[in-house]
Amino acid sequence: MSGLGASAALAVLSGWVAFALAGWIAPPGLSAGLGALAGAGVVLAFRDSVAVGGAIALLAPFGVMLPALALRHVAVRLGVPMPGFATWELVAFLVLYTGFLAAAFGVIPVDAYRLGYAPLPVAVMVLVLCAYGFVTGNWFIPLIAVLGQAAWVIGWGSSNWFDHVLHVVMWPLTVVVLVARLF
Amino acid sequence: MGTAQAAILVLAAISLCLSLWAARADEPPQWRFALPAPVAVTGQPMFQTVFDYTPETGQAHSPAIRLTPEGFDLLWFEGSAEAQADVDIHAASFSRGPDGWQAGPSAPLLTRGDLGAAMTPSQIVVTLGNTIENEAVPGALYATVASVGGWAMASVVDVRMADGGPEQAHKLNLSPLLNRSNLVKSPMVAYDDGTHALPAYFEMGATYGLLVRLDRHGRVRDTRRIGAAPGAGKPIQPMIVPLDETRALAFLRDFDPSHQLLVSRTQDGGQSWSPAAPVGIENPSSPVAALNLGEGRILMAINDDADRPQRLRLILGTNEGAEWRRLRQFEGDGALRYPMLRRLPGDEIVLTYSKGTKRGVVAHVFNPAWVAAQ
Repeated sequence: MSGLGASAALAVLSGWVAFALAGWIAPPGLSAGLGALAGAGVVLAFRDSVAVGGAIALLAPFGVMLPALALRHVAVRLGVPMPGFATWELVAFLVLYTGFLAAAFGVIPVDAYRLGYAPLPVAVMVLVLCAYGFVTGNWFIPLIAVLGQAAWVIGWGSSNWFDHVLHVVMWPLTVVVLVARLF
Repeated sequence: MGTAQAAILVLAAISLCLSLWAARADEPPQWRFALPAPVAVTGQPMFQTVFDYTPETGQAHSPAIRLTPEGFDLLWFEGSAEAQADVDIHAASFSRGPDGWQAGPSAPLLTRGDLGAAMTPSQIVVTLGNTIENEAVPGALYATVASVGGWAMASVVDVRMADGGPEQAHKLNLSPLLNRSNLVKSPMVAYDDGTHALPAYFEMGATYGLLVRLDRHGRVRDTRRIGAAPGAGKPIQPMIVPLDETRALAFLRDFDPSHQLLVSRTQDGGQSWSPAAPVGIENPSSPVAALNLGEGRILMAINDDADRPQRLRLILGTNEGAEWRRLRQFEGDGALRYPMLRRLPGDEIVLTYSKGTKRGVVAHVFNPAWVAAQ
């Protein structure tokens, strides 16, 4: 099942890239259609290709968050009302995530990643994110946290909850968004 | 309360249900080592060189031992050179015949193509490295796999075998860096609850050993860092030797050129480990192999001369490694490195290592009487 999930995630991300490229010349609706076709085509027609195998080897586990962010971006362009992220939220995320990755590198002598293997810490973290979403009215973060928890509990993909709700590509993505907001 | 808040309350309720489900299904690891009985010294001393292999071209390196019903297999990686895109895992089987241990033909066991196809999700495997037995599952392996970059970008893959090849495989989830920068080298550690722990190590930038606790399905359930601390060198390739139910030593190679073997200790079954510190034995930044023979004796295969990696010694530690004495010395042209020791069901001991600076593989079998006679 995790193979199906990875293929679906790769289809979404491939489709998002096609959507973003098509968006330079085509309206959002047409771009989304082209993206959907491209995403499905990449996974279905080129499933055994070196490019797809390499992309999976490079980027898996995709988790829930990365494809969800791609779908959210498409939805926003299509005019679907979606909760946004304030600049201070992105900065706070970047600081926390940098610390988390630094801990994984051993730069900070704390192993935060291992909390993602055990039910109780995961339960607390998901509820904290739900509480944050409740206070701010942002349902996107609780949704991803709970979807990630569901995949983790069922055993689809990683045995660590963090792999379902975070992806290392989010670090440069967040930097790019923050830089873009400066101009 | 708005629609969003109501939806979030529903999500929180779902999360609580998921948490209850996860807590009910969870089996937290127990932290008591399983100790084998002390080896029995019986019969005549026996020492047999059972394998001396050099491929026609290229390298063969990092041999490991997999126990089988008939005896054991040797596994090693072979190709034009380490980390190249033509390296596969080769193997030879050994069984006891009327004239002692007999080697079967060597042949590829795990190829990059077969492994990539067996992985979930299927993906490219560029090269293979250190591969050891998954002692929790008959015939299974843990392979060090690189799909991009060098060993610092490697992953540990759980490989289930069937009909002589990989049937299913998946990467262990060991780091938030796309599960990268973890490798294996040394045999697993048995626990009293019937599970096994995998000694692994992280080597991107800062390095540390890692004790990986796996559940009964082979999924990572917990990890504990071994030897990590500021100023503790760059410990990698932990070789864990349980001393009793809660105490163990982890001998570690120092990736920095300190020329010292490092050791880290646990007194709580592996939940916490002391900072790595020199054990007082020279070592040219090479991994070691070790076995607990019981009654405080530790058998170790080690390069214990920092300037002569072509010299590999068997040494015996007494009083839980407080004192060491040399048993036997092996010398060759080029480095003799990457030893592994495993105990066979009949108390015989297999020692294997690579020779000629990764040019081939050697294996010996000996018995406790031979050790006692040295």
